[in-house]
Amino acid sequence: MIGMIRLGTVLWIVVIAAVGYAMFQVKFEVTRLDQHLGDINRDIAASREATRVLNAEWSLLSDPQRLDRLNQSYLHLTPVTGAQIGRIDQIPLRAQAVAQNPQLASAPMPSKGAP
Amino acid sequence: MSQLIGDNPCRPRHFRPAPCGPAPTEGPAKDALEISHTRLLIAGALFVLAFMTIAARLIEVGGFKSADLHIARLHPAAKPDIARADIVDRNGTLLATTLDVPSLFANPKQVQDKRGTAHALAAILPETSEAELYARLTSDKSFVWLGRQLTPRQEYAVNQLGIPGLDFATEGKRVYPKGNLAAHVVGYSGIDNNGLAGIERGLDDTLKMQTGPVQLSIDARLQYILRSETARQMAQFEAQAATGLIMDVHTGEVLALVSLPDFDLNAAGSAKPEAMFDRATLGVYEVGSIFKIFNTAMALDAHTATLASRYDATKPIEIAGFTIHDDHPLKRWLSVPEIFEYSSNIGAAKMAAEAGTERQRDMLGRLGLLHAPSFELPELGVPMIPRPWLPISTMTVAFGHGISVSLLQVASATSAAINGGMLYPPTILKRPDGVPVQGQRVLSPQTSTDMRKLLRLVVEDGTGKYADAPGYVVGGKTGTAEKAENGRYATHALMSSFVGAFPMNDPRYVVIVMLDEPKPHPGASATGGMVAAPAVARIIERMAPIVGIQPVDENSPEIRRSLMVGSPSPQGRKLAAN
Repeated sequence: MIGMIRLGTVLWIVVIAAVGYAMFQVKFEVTRLDQHLGDINRDIAASREATRVLNAEWSLLSDPQRLDRLNQSYLHLTPVTGAQIGRIDQIPLRAQAVAQNPQLASAPMPSKGAP
Repeated sequence: MSQLIGDNPCRPRHFRPAPCGPAPTEGPAKDALEISHTRLLIAGALFVLAFMTIAARLIEVGGFKSADLHIARLHPAAKPDIARADIVDRNGTLLATTLDVPSLFANPKQVQDKRGTAHALAAILPETSEAELYARLTSDKSFVWLGRQLTPRQEYAVNQLGIPGLDFATEGKRVYPKGNLAAHVVGYSGIDNNGLAGIERGLDDTLKMQTGPVQLSIDARLQYILRSETARQMAQFEAQAATGLIMDVHTGEVLALVSLPDFDLNAAGSAKPEAMFDRATLGVYEVGSIFKIFNTAMALDAHTATLASRYDATKPIEIAGFTIHDDHPLKRWLSVPEIFEYSSNIGAAKMAAEAGTERQRDMLGRLGLLHAPSFELPELGVPMIPRPWLPISTMTVAFGHGISVSLLQVASATSAAINGGMLYPPTILKRPDGVPVQGQRVLSPQTSTDMRKLLRLVVEDGTGKYADAPGYVVGGKTGTAEKAENGRYATHALMSSFVGAFPMNDPRYVVIVMLDEPKPHPGASATGGMVAAPAVARIIERMAPIVGIQPVDENSPEIRRSLMVGSPSPQGRKLAAN
């Protein structure tokens, strides 16, 4: 009878110890994960703020007024006019042009392409 | 029996001692024992169940990693903590954003050397005087703001002082990276993130609730083109102010809106009132001959005139003590296209008189010119219309005098006149792709086709020649109105404008430029055709490649035919003579 009680007690003590150990393990794990989550959230917030700052800076740098100013001091590009834009089918094939007008065979390429 | 149980008065009633005597076999004692036994079993079973559940849960939580995802869902990542949503243009270019900046506060009870602190801070915070800082530091509150939204340099300087009792709090500061580019559209907000003007005020609630950006219909590139060209024209003709607007005729979206002088949104507090005033949506003006677009559309749509009708413009009209005369008098009978092309006030007035006040008022109402449009910007002008609407009003309204409307209304109504006859409500927000826009039919498609021809005629051969951008089939109408000053028209002070559209064979965009009091140049009068039209031409030439419109051969037979105005027929003469 006493032997049986002892065996039962030992068994339960082992179970309690195991469960207690497991519980603390889980608790520490949760604490660690919680800290990790906090770190990640802080990182996310910092990255978001950095993204916002970089977006704002990009918008500032790509401001058309600034680009125009830079263009005027370094590149001197001017707006494209309608006359500068043509379509590929507006350019006659040389063979066709020569067939229509044999004199072109010895002439340089026609310059009249765009409207 | 009784002494066996009653031997220890402290013993629990349900405790069953080890049998050391004969077990009770009968009577109330036996019943009591059995009840105790059952209760013990139930209680024990409950405990075992509870412990088993805990053990099972522990094994589940500790033993299997598959629960991670489930737990992760219970703890979503931190929500972005933005006090105000961004504002972007139709291509996603940032126009307004909120950045975290430090603000300086103090707990006066912890600040020891108040006078020294005030002195040191006054050097760092130039907006606040030393006396003011000292007053705040000596207040009996435990929290006072000393400086809001400091620059990184200021923050560093304050930290260098190392004064205890001072601390920083992070606040969202509104930043406008494009400065003055779309000042009147974007607007600005106050230090506590309340919208005070523009879309910042118009959509204040949305901007506070929404996490994603608010997307405008504005295109920053077109906005820049419009702004630089109107600014150039304003400087060249020494105008007091200038306004411009670009609208998509098929959606009512405003692609660019400029009101000069403007101001830097990042320093809105120090802007002058005349710079803050939105001339494109809040200002209402007599726009002059531009109204002939709506007058002609009215007459054509009501069939009181056709393109072949002719009106007598040989001499000025005398009515109610006023004289209506032409700026470019031809002194002969004019056909409807000629009235439009040479901007004859006499002809337009006669067209309107023939159609009558009711028809005129009805058409202007349908075109949205008699009431303020629904629009997202809070700066919205209410048109000034003739009250009462006398016969003379009918005649003057025909050429845009005696009625004041905003450029936004002119843009909407002009869009309707050329897009096939549909009026789309103007908007400053990007319409979702693929969703058909709800419009209202206000003109017949035939009237709209005729209006395209007439507008093209003005640029090809009439008062708007300087608006021509070769290859883009520009059409338009000039407007030159004398500014009303103290109830009289001042001939030296003009509002000169041009409303252009392109390509007229299939209109896509309306471009309006208006200058306030341009000064005439040698060789260039201050009329709409001279000061505003050239700007429209340059704007169209610069914006066409961006919006993907290819130049065409304007003399090709298809385009000629689609925009050809039929020659006046004899019936027209008879109709007008009636």
